[in-house]
Amino acid sequence: MSAADRPLLSVEDLTIEIAGASVVDGVSFAVQPGEVMALVGESGCGKSLTSYALLGLLPDVAERTAGSVRLADTDLAALPPRRLRKARGKDISIIFQEPSASLDPLATVGAQIAEALRQHEAVSRREALARARDMLEAVGIPDPDRRLHQYPFELSGGMCQRIMIAIALICGPRVLVADEPTTALDVTIQAQILDLMKRLVAERGTSIVLITHDMGVVADIADHVAVMYAGRIAEIAPVDDLFARPAHPYTALLLASVPRLDVAPKATLATIEGLVPSPGDFGEGCRFTDRCPLASERCRAEQPPLFEERPGHRTACWHRDRVGEIARAAA
Amino acid sequence: MLGYALWRLLQAAISVFGVITIVFVVMHFSGDPTLLLVPQGASAEQIETLRHQLGFDQPVWVQYLAYLGGLLQGDFGQSVVQRAPAFGIVLSRLPYTIELAIGALIVAIGVGLPVGMLMATYRGTALERALAAVVLTGQSVPTFLSGILLIMVFAVQLHWLPTSGVGDVRFLVMPSIALGALSMSTFARMTRIAMVDELGKDYVRAALARGLSMRAVVLRHVLRNSAIPVITIAALEIGNLLAGAVIVETVFAWPGIGQLAIQSIQSRDFLVVQVIVLLISFIYVATSVAADFAYAAIDPRIRLAR
Repeated sequence: MSAADRPLLSVEDLTIEIAGASVVDGVSFAVQPGEVMALVGESGCGKSLTSYALLGLLPDVAERTAGSVRLADTDLAALPPRRLRKARGKDISIIFQEPSASLDPLATVGAQIAEALRQHEAVSRREALARARDMLEAVGIPDPDRRLHQYPFELSGGMCQRIMIAIALICGPRVLVADEPTTALDVTIQAQILDLMKRLVAERGTSIVLITHDMGVVADIADHVAVMYAGRIAEIAPVDDLFARPAHPYTALLLASVPRLDVAPKATLATIEGLVPSPGDFGEGCRFTDRCPLASERCRAEQPPLFEERPGHRTACWHRDRVGEIARAAA
Repeated sequence: MLGYALWRLLQAAISVFGVITIVFVVMHFSGDPTLLLVPQGASAEQIETLRHQLGFDQPVWVQYLAYLGGLLQGDFGQSVVQRAPAFGIVLSRLPYTIELAIGALIVAIGVGLPVGMLMATYRGTALERALAAVVLTGQSVPTFLSGILLIMVFAVQLHWLPTSGVGDVRFLVMPSIALGALSMSTFARMTRIAMVDELGKDYVRAALARGLSMRAVVLRHVLRNSAIPVITIAALEIGNLLAGAVIVETVFAWPGIGQLAIQSIQSRDFLVVQVIVLLISFIYVATSVAADFAYAAIDPRIRLAR
């Protein structure tokens, strides 16, 4: 493989256990420079844990038991804590779902942005604040000179998320991980934050790993999509191909349950029957079996590998040739 | 901010006024104080003369106003036992109690805060369990017992420290430990709870994601955020230390206001008791005001709120 098409970020076989149950199981994906990779799935599918694991920020109860997180030539998962700290915020950054809670309530916005910069670069306090100010401008915050000296409680959630983005990007990382960055925000603010992220990708060539449960957000911003179900990747594909021709029953049902404007008003919204199994109840086979209209004996007994359905489009389903039936039934 | 400060001081003044009034009412309705003051076997005429001298034959509201007027002029009445101004007697004992309270606070905060921080940082480890045992001991052994145990071990058996009394700093060691132990446990537990609470918050994970070490996150962010509940406890503990001083000063023959309070109650020198009660109440109010100002200094949400 030549250097040109080697991915910037490559996650291989990532496995995370909580109390002996594998809540993330053999997850692999790769992100190219300047590309947006979306990890999609229901609550509890392991997408947020996956995002924390990229920076080695798993909560105490969770443990990464296997897998690598390769950023360029470095396996972040194998780094000793000191080296990993040097990479966090500098090579790879993360923003979270609750922007207001992610800022220290007792420190000014400027101090927190400057702190991120001074952690990685030997700059004076004054220069750090000057660059923090420029960063505030870059993330579209009006009146940055005043905002610099304000406290998080004086700012709205959308403002706080812009500040989190400023903190995340001030050292110029190559990868930005965004864990449901717009979930806690109003719809109009959501759109602004997504636009900002799109602009940053374009201007700086930053790759984004976007965690979301919102198919609308995926369609808006992602280049590639990995659909996760119960800790495993069900399907991974370029975004257009995934929306046009889903090759996993879960993806097809997920897409069918997105509200649409072109169907009759008051029509019942399609839902997926049943619940995600809890980590203790995972069987041997495909974890979607109990909710899948195509399920067979084989699904129950044997976990399907990721089949390459089309170039770049892989799906973990034994009955991938029949997924079109679900899509047609939903339409 | 200035409005907040003035409003808080006004509240404090109202509290002090309330305390003064309650003390007056309790004293007045607890019986005729003249009878406590005359020697046994005094004639009715002598009692009546003294009652008139002290003004207790006046209507209640006249007595109340005279009492308030006296307080405003710094007149807290005479000690009938020592034949001297009650305020001066209390004031002469105050430095000893302040010295003891500072010693106890050094024990309480100097040990309690680091112990609480270690317990929070190393939660779930053997270190935390060992420290928890220390905290539990400090919290469960009553002051009179720990005082006597300390005297037995360090003075009587080992001869390291003097048994009791005042003098150089060696005299201060055991009373400070006996008095500070309970507060130390309270500080340790509150610091631990406050820090564990803060460590679970999103901003900690976000600060780690910036590349900070856990140590830097704790020092720069978590400690400040944990300070508010700890300051609340500190304000209350200073009052508790003064109350605890009554026992410790008796055990260690320490001539502070705690010992004075016991002596004055035993000799029915009630005007001295009254000054002590007023003084301790005043310290309570003053520390809680100081705590409120400290919150404002730390937390912009309080400082900048209208």
